[in-house]
Amino acid sequence: MSQARRHLGSFDGLLFFSALALQIIGLVVIYSSTTGTPSAGAFQRQAMWMALGMAGLLVVLLIDYHTLAEFAVVFYAVSLVLLVATLVFGRVVNASKSWLGIGGMQFQPSELAKVATILMVAAYLGREQVRGLGFVRFAAVAGLVGLPVLLIMQQPDLGTAATFMPLLLGSAFLAGLRIRTIVILVLIAALALPIIWGHLKPYQKERVKIFLEPTRDPKGAGYQLIQSLIAVGSGGVTGKGFLSGTQGSLQFLPEQHTDFVLAVLAEERGFLGSALVLALYFIVLTRCVSTARVARDRLGAFLAMGVACVFGGQALINIGVVLGVLPTTGVPLPLLSYGGSCLVSTLLGLGLVLNVHMRRLVN
Amino acid sequence: MMRPARDPRDYLAERRLGARITVIQVLFGAVLAMYLMTFWYLQVVRADYYRRLSDSNHLRRVTIPAERGLITDIGERPLVGNRIAFNIRLDREKTADVDRLLPRLAGVLGVNESTLKDRLARARGRPRFEPVVLKEDVDLKEVAYIEARRLELPMLSVEIESRREYPHGDLAAHVLGYVGEATEEQVKSDPEDLFDLGDIVGKAGLERQYETSLHGIKGWKEVVVNSHGREMQEVGEGRPPSSGHSLRLTIDLELQRILEEAYGQELGSAVFLDAKTGAVLAMISRPAYDPNVFAHRFSEDVWQSLVRDPRHPLQDRVSLSKFAPGSVFKVVMTIAALEEGVARPERVDHCTGSYRFGERTFQCWGIRKGGHGWVDMRQALIESCNIYFYRLGNEMGIERIARWAHLLGFGQATGIDLPHEESGTVPDAPWKARAVPRDPKWHPGETISVSIGQGALEVTPLQMAVFAATVGSGGTVLRPHLVQAREAREGVEQGNVDDVVVRRVELHPNTLKVVKEAMWGVVNEAGGTGGRARLEGYDVCAKTGTAQVFKVSRDIDADKMAKEKRDHAWFVGFAPKDDPQIAFAVFVQNGGHGGTVGAPIARAVLERFFAQREGIKGGLSVASAAPPR
Repeated sequence: MSQARRHLGSFDGLLFFSALALQIIGLVVIYSSTTGTPSAGAFQRQAMWMALGMAGLLVVLLIDYHTLAEFAVVFYAVSLVLLVATLVFGRVVNASKSWLGIGGMQFQPSELAKVATILMVAAYLGREQVRGLGFVRFAAVAGLVGLPVLLIMQQPDLGTAATFMPLLLGSAFLAGLRIRTIVILVLIAALALPIIWGHLKPYQKERVKIFLEPTRDPKGAGYQLIQSLIAVGSGGVTGKGFLSGTQGSLQFLPEQHTDFVLAVLAEERGFLGSALVLALYFIVLTRCVSTARVARDRLGAFLAMGVACVFGGQALINIGVVLGVLPTTGVPLPLLSYGGSCLVSTLLGLGLVLNVHMRRLVN
Repeated sequence: MMRPARDPRDYLAERRLGARITVIQVLFGAVLAMYLMTFWYLQVVRADYYRRLSDSNHLRRVTIPAERGLITDIGERPLVGNRIAFNIRLDREKTADVDRLLPRLAGVLGVNESTLKDRLARARGRPRFEPVVLKEDVDLKEVAYIEARRLELPMLSVEIESRREYPHGDLAAHVLGYVGEATEEQVKSDPEDLFDLGDIVGKAGLERQYETSLHGIKGWKEVVVNSHGREMQEVGEGRPPSSGHSLRLTIDLELQRILEEAYGQELGSAVFLDAKTGAVLAMISRPAYDPNVFAHRFSEDVWQSLVRDPRHPLQDRVSLSKFAPGSVFKVVMTIAALEEGVARPERVDHCTGSYRFGERTFQCWGIRKGGHGWVDMRQALIESCNIYFYRLGNEMGIERIARWAHLLGFGQATGIDLPHEESGTVPDAPWKARAVPRDPKWHPGETISVSIGQGALEVTPLQMAVFAATVGSGGTVLRPHLVQAREAREGVEQGNVDDVVVRRVELHPNTLKVVKEAMWGVVNEAGGTGGRARLEGYDVCAKTGTAQVFKVSRDIDADKMAKEKRDHAWFVGFAPKDDPQIAFAVFVQNGGHGGTVGAPIARAVLERFFAQREGIKGGLSVASAAPPR
C-alpha cells in the first residue's frame, strides 16, 4: 500500500494535465472547424477515442515498465504481424492501405507499431550497460526500427514512416553514437539524396518543389500551404474567435481538423493561442526529458526519450508543415489532431513516460 | 535531480547519457522557439496582409439586378412592363447521373433531350452548385407540377426572374424596340459603367435610346462563400438596387391602336405628330415583330428567322427607310417658286401629257386622259400635274430647289429620340460631284426629275410628317420626339418645350395661302386625289404622292398592277387647315396611289384624334378616349 501511495506521489501531474489540456484544445478546434462541413461528427468520435486512449494510458501506467519491457518482443512481433495483415486485408483510403478493421472499429496498426518499437528499442538498448554504440549495435537498432518502417512504406504511408526516424536517430545518439559516425551517416544521406529523389513518386517530388516555391501552383499543390499560411496569419494576435475562423469551416483549408488543425487554432485563437499550444508542447517535451534524466535505469531513460523523440519529432514536423518551413508530409499533430489511432498511441506513449516517472525511486 | 550511480562505470555512462539528453532537449527547445518566432512573424507582423488575403478568399460581392424602368403612353397606360417569369432549373449536385436522368426530364418538361444536353453542356465548367436553367418562362401549371413532385424530382427547382413584357405584342414595336443581353462591345462603350456582360439592355428603339434611364443602378451585397464558391451567408449592408426610371411617351395608345387597325396588312409606315410640338402621337412600321420574343435568353432561332425574313421586319420604316417623295415634293417646289419670286400663283401652263426636254420625254401621269390642259399653280398642285412642275423646276434650277428642300427639313436628320435615323438625300451639283464620281456633272434633266420628287431625291416618312407640320404651322420646323416626360433622380423631368423647335422659316402669308388652299383642295374638292381623307368640319389638308417603282405608261392603270410592281404611295398632310393640331405622313409600300390606300388610314386616325379633342373640350368623356392627365 505504501508503495502505491509513493507511486501516486510520484505521478507527473504537470505532464498529464498539459497533455490533457492539449487534447481538450484539440477537441474544441475540431468542433469549430468541422461544424457545418461534411466532416461534422468528428468531435464526438474524437471524444470517444480520447476516452479509449485514457483507459489505455491507465493500463500502461499500472504495469511496471520493466514487466512491459520483458514482453517488448511480443508487442513488437504482434505489431509487425498487424502491419503485414494491414498490407493483406487493409482498407484503401486515399490510395494507401493503412487501416485495419476489427469489430467495426478502424485503426492504423502503424500507430500502435510506434509504441511497440519504442518499447522494443528501449528494451534492447537499456538491457545492458553499453559504452558507445558500435556499428553492429547501431545496425541492430536500425533493423528494429527499419522493419516496421519498411512495412509502413509498403502501404504506402511515408508520413507515418518518417515519424520513426527521430526514434532511430535519438536512440542511437543517446546510446553513444559517435559524432564521427553521425557525420559519416549524414554524408551518406547527402550522397543518397539524388538517388532517393529519383525514386520519389511524382506527387512527392511536387510537394518538395511546392515547399521550395509555394506560389508555383497556387490552385493546385501549393494551395494547401498558401491556405495554411493565410489561416495562421489572418488570426492576428487574438484570433477570429470560436466558430469564426473562415479558412477551416468554409473549407478553404483542406485537412482542417487533421493535419492542419493547428492552422485553424491559430486562425481562431491568434498568436496567443498558438503560443499557448507551443508552451504546452514545450512542457510535455520537457517533462518527458526530465523523466529520462531522473529515470531509475537506462531502460526508463530510453523509454522516456523514445516517446519524446517520436511524438515530439512528429509535433515539430507537423508544426513545421503548418508554418510552411517543411514540405507537406501528411503527419497529424499528436494530441491535437483528429484521428483515433494517433491519439491512442500518443496516450500509450505518455503512459510509458508517466510509468517511468512514477517508478523512478528505487524501493 | 541526479540519482547517485551504483558504480563508477555507470556514473560515467550516466554523465554521458545526461549530456546527450540535454542536446536533444536543447534541440527541441530551439525548434519550438524558432516556431514561436515564426508564429509571431505571421500573426503579428504580417497579420494585416494575411487578413486581407483571408477576406478576399471568402468574401464575394454579388450584384443584384435593378428593375428596368417602365414605359407608358401619354395617359400612363403601360406599353412596356416587367413581369415575373418562372424558370425550371436543375441542381446538378443533387443528381448522381445526369445523363441517365435526361430522358425522364425531357418527358416531364416537354423539352427535347438534345436541347437539355445542349444547356447542360453550356454549363460545364461552371461550379456544380450553380443550377442550370432547363426550361424558361414556364406557366403556373408547370410550376405547380414541378413543385408537387419535390420528393420525386428533388433536383428540379423553380427560379423567379423579372422579364421584360410588351403587353400589346407588336404594337408600336419599332418605337419601343426590344431588349437582349449586352454584348462585349456594348459593355465597352458604356460610358457610365451601368452594365456588365450578359445584362439585359435595350437593343433597339426607345429601349436602347433611353438605356441609361431605363437600366437602373444595380445593387450589391457582400456574401460569405466557401471554397467551392457557394454562398453561405450575407454580411454587411451592401447597396439595394435602384430601379430604372420610367418613361411617359407622347404616343397615345388609343390612336396607336386605331392606326394599327387601319393600316391592316400593308407594308410601310405612318407617323402622326402633334403639329404644335412635334410630339409623336402614333407611329407604325410594318411588317412588325413581337418584341416579347427577344425577352427570352434562348431566342437565337427566332432572331435568325427575323433577320433572314426578306421583308425585313426589324427595319423601322419611319425613320430608317428612305424613298422618293414623289408628288408630295411639289409642295416644296411651290413654296420655293413663290418665295424665290420665280413664279406667281397666277402662272398658267398647258399640260398635254408629255414634256420633251433635250432628248428625253418626261410624262405626266395625266397622259391617259390627254393631259391636264391649262392649269394654274393651285390647280397644278391639286391635280399633281407633272408638266407644270417640270417647267417650273427647269426655270428655278436645282440650287434653289435644294436650298428650300434643306430649309424645310429634308436631307437632314429630324433629331427624333431614336437610336438611328436616315437623313435622306437632297441632290444638287456638289452632291452629285461627291456621290457619283463616274458622272460628276449635274445634268439639267436631273432637275426635271427632282421637280416631281423623283430622281436621287430620298426622304423618310418621318421627314415628311415633320414637313407637313412645318407647312401647317407656317414655317416652324419641329423636332419630333417620343418621350413626354421621364422620371429623374428626383421628381419628374418634363420634356423641354423650347427645344422642340429646330428653326423657323419665314414664309410669306400668300405662299402659305396658296399651298394650304391647294392641299385643302386635294382632300375637299371634287377633282382632288385625296378625297377619302375628307372629314366634315375639320378641313383636312394633304398631298398625295407616288414613288415610282415601275415607269408608268399610258396603258397601265397603276391600281391594277401586280402588287409588288406598284408604286409606293404617299399621303402627307395636316388638319385642320387654319390652326393645325395634327400632322401626318402615311407611306404604303407598293400601295399604288396615295389617295387610294393612304387617305383612309389617315382619316381613321384623324377622326379619333378630333373626337378625343372634342370630348376634352366639351368636358365629355368619349368612350374610348383616355382621360386627360
